[in-house]
Amino acid sequence: MDMILQKKSLAPWLERLEGYDIYAPVRQDDIWNYAHVTDGRDIDLGYPNTVQSPKPIIFPQCETILEFSASEDGTPVMREVIPEPNPFVVLGMRPCDARALTLYDKVFGGDIKDPYYWKRREKGILVGLACTVPPSPNCFCPTVDGSPCSTDGLDILLTDLEDRYYVESLTKKGENLLNDAKTLFKAPTAAENKAAARIKSESEKKINRQVRQLAEVPPKLAGMFDASLWDEEAMSCLRCGICTYLCPTCHCFDIADELSSSSPLKGRRIRNWDTCQFPDFTMHSSGHNPRPDKASRLRQRILHKFHYFVVNHEAYQCTGCGRCISLCPVGIDIIEVLDKVRDYA
Amino acid sequence: MVNLDDLKKEAKRILQDDKVKYVVGYTRSSAGPLASPVFIEDPEKIGELIWDASCVQNLAKFLLDEKRRKGRAKKPDTRPIAIVVKGCDSRSVNVLLQEKYIERKDVFLLGVSCEDLGVVDQKKIAQRFEGKTIQDIKFDLSPELAVTTEDGTVKLPIQEVLADRCLECQANFPVVYDVLLGDKSRKKVDEPFGSLEEIESMAAPQRWEFWQEQLGKCVRCYACRSACPMCYCDECVVDTIAFAVAADTSAEEKAQKIKWIEKSPTKSENFGYHMVRAIHLAGRCIDCGECERVCPVSIPLRHLNKKLEKAAKQLFDYNAGFEPDKPALVSSFRDEDPEDFIR
Repeated sequence: MDMILQKKSLAPWLERLEGYDIYAPVRQDDIWNYAHVTDGRDIDLGYPNTVQSPKPIIFPQCETILEFSASEDGTPVMREVIPEPNPFVVLGMRPCDARALTLYDKVFGGDIKDPYYWKRREKGILVGLACTVPPSPNCFCPTVDGSPCSTDGLDILLTDLEDRYYVESLTKKGENLLNDAKTLFKAPTAAENKAAARIKSESEKKINRQVRQLAEVPPKLAGMFDASLWDEEAMSCLRCGICTYLCPTCHCFDIADELSSSSPLKGRRIRNWDTCQFPDFTMHSSGHNPRPDKASRLRQRILHKFHYFVVNHEAYQCTGCGRCISLCPVGIDIIEVLDKVRDYA
Repeated sequence: MVNLDDLKKEAKRILQDDKVKYVVGYTRSSAGPLASPVFIEDPEKIGELIWDASCVQNLAKFLLDEKRRKGRAKKPDTRPIAIVVKGCDSRSVNVLLQEKYIERKDVFLLGVSCEDLGVVDQKKIAQRFEGKTIQDIKFDLSPELAVTTEDGTVKLPIQEVLADRCLECQANFPVVYDVLLGDKSRKKVDEPFGSLEEIESMAAPQRWEFWQEQLGKCVRCYACRSACPMCYCDECVVDTIAFAVAADTSAEEKAQKIKWIEKSPTKSENFGYHMVRAIHLAGRCIDCGECERVCPVSIPLRHLNKKLEKAAKQLFDYNAGFEPDKPALVSSFRDEDPEDFIR
């Protein structure tokens, strides 16, 4: 079902979405990030790109999975904590970030379903915004099977037609959300249909960066575990967690117990994001570290995204958002690394 | 003016004469307009070097990597490495020398003077072109930049988009070097601690609120620690394994380890991390400003370090990174040191 929404009707639409928490890009201290928005008038979808993808809304950086305490006789008591979020809408999600959730679905789905993830995932309605202009100079979504107007993972896709949005509802959830405020939407005219189609077909041409013949990379990587390339490419790496923490598809976490009191015993078991780029990620309790240097950690990042994930899930674990490139303090460029892998003799 | 050809010539000479193992300098990056570090072993590749206002990183950080690499090698190559240093970066080399983390023979310093400019703040450039995607920035027209957006190319004086750290610079040319390129006249800085005025004028509750909000944003990517040449500890208080574990470390020792700071990025733990880092940098930070530049969520970390730098200056008349042969601030004592803050 395709509709038209005037831009000035965006705030009134959001006001009608009673019972939903709304998350949208918000600017703070010169950067954009997703935040819980209570006034629809604060929303500005003309943002470049958020520093963080909306991943923390569904996969928070820090999550309690159980709480424990000592009962009166001293035996420990444990209580499972499963999140019960309100239904929510993520507004203005970039297609690459929405596709990233379809990759998470593979990781947190499968034979064992991760309850913490799915409790949030199922409550969310994802309203995307097609990238008529690439939001970052390092966008490369078409290389990794995406598109600036991809609908993967989305419930609704908005396309900017200057003073109005072309609105496509893509799922039952999306359709219901439009039906809740039916009077604000109208059917598109033939000219509007044509304009939306034209903008979409042009959007991909505006993307400047790509990896040629990426399909050659995964089989190549299978034989590159001991390649000297990793040492060269990792020379400038500083060992920070930017590339992975800000990646919409990275999903590794660490589980720890944190005490709020040791006597009487009280605390929680939490899971926190973790990253293969930190030296202690693979540190054994013996002191041995199977990934002892930054070359082995860069190799892990590339192999996971473009080899292991492809083998296990038949998809690249990258949606081409370009964050790891733009935000790397020393300019390590995953596109360049993949080019070098492809051409590695 | 620093002549890039002279820099290349010097770098090539020391490689050809086998004086150094490799040269760490700056090169153009495919990732964006700012320079990237480059590591050159082959003298024929020296053409990759650049020097301009995009050369933001403090390459002294790579002295730490080199030391680790040597430590791991069975037969370490003990030749020095060469690094390109700006004034601020050279001060951090001095602190590493003063703390005996490295020896002077470990490093060959290719000093470059920032003269009356410095390096840019990419965020300030972005602000100038709000709402536009910056496609390209040309830096080789110093003292101007040429910024290209979808609307065309605009020239801009570098002076207008200099990083805050450069506006408060105390060493616009290297204070230690083996080769110096560019002019050696001191740039006048009127307000070396001017950036602190706003935060110092806040009442304590307001300041508390400010830091609650700012440090609440921290995602604990540790980019600030990672970019800092003074953060060279083998064990850091925030790491899950925060002490050097060896094969003979007993289970008891591991169990008794105190967890000072939890991994969860809550406000209290983030405060713990940033306060520990700030205190550990007191009298050591030379304000290269890299911690603040690399922070992906724009936490104004320079305020913390600058405040301690100011305290060191006012209380002890101490300026880090100028006198490597004198004792470090936190490891020296004088009878006349002020003590009225000890309660």
